[in-house]
Amino acid sequence: MRHHKILFSGPVGAGKTTAIASISDHAPVLTEAKARDSTRLIKERTTVAMDYGVMELEGGEKVHLYGTPGQPRFDFMWDILAEGGLGIVLLIDNSAADAMHRLDRFLRVFDEVIERTSLVVGVTKMDVSATLTLADYVDRLDAAGVRAPVLEVDARERRDVALLVEALLYSIDPGLDVDDVA
Amino acid sequence: MRAEQLNAILRKLSAASGEVEAAAIISTDGLVMSSHVPDGIDDDRLGAMSAAMLSLGERAAMELGRGELEQVLIKGRQGFIILIHAGPDAVLTVLTVQTARLGLIFLDVKRTAAEIARLI
Repeated sequence: MRHHKILFSGPVGAGKTTAIASISDHAPVLTEAKARDSTRLIKERTTVAMDYGVMELEGGEKVHLYGTPGQPRFDFMWDILAEGGLGIVLLIDNSAADAMHRLDRFLRVFDEVIERTSLVVGVTKMDVSATLTLADYVDRLDAAGVRAPVLEVDARERRDVALLVEALLYSIDPGLDVDDVA
Repeated sequence: MRAEQLNAILRKLSAASGEVEAAAIISTDGLVMSSHVPDGIDDDRLGAMSAAMLSLGERAAMELGRGELEQVLIKGRQGFIILIHAGPDAVLTVLTVQTARLGLIFLDVKRTAAEIARLI
């Protein structure tokens, strides 16, 4: 029985906690606190340490899902949580005015991890704002020399998040049986 | 006004024994509300780490059947870090020297946390 660990990261408000809660087969471990910084303009609570959930695959394999806080002041948790991960799910809020800069920033933060492991980019809140398209993200990744699948995701939808995780797992190990994840 | 009061409380805690090297009051999402720390310790890092540790401590205590969190204690070779809730939305973080008498420090820290909780 194999265990896989993957990391959900990305800027604040992208939907990391929501995504892990949507897809976890057990009640997730969340560490949210009342937001007092500018985050409070978009949501009431914010992750301060980590999210943790588990996805069970056919055959008893487990995927451990770790979510990071989004604010740079918690960057020490980014390193801690990335340790031993097989890949990163990077979530980007499409309705943020500086969505592309946020993508760049997180590509830089995790550049070593991305080089060593796998990446998939999930673009959230496209229903809120469709100014940027998936093609824009693909272009940006190309420009940064990063090859990764880019998918539109509603973090509240288990199916959407499952597709994202599947895409990541396939790029890590094409032989993995993840058909019934969703 | 409130900031001054908080700062006065922290100074009092540090003065009470020579064993407290730094103390800070932090919102549960990691922002420093007041701090009394020596040079060489970054306020913002201290704030974020305190919020993360407290939050994880809280979850671990609950999920592993230890009940509501009272405090987080970290022991390093050079001293202790004590984290305690100061009301529902704030954390009191105290750094002590390695030879600190923990019993006395705990009393001071608890009393201080209660005082802070009344203010905020």
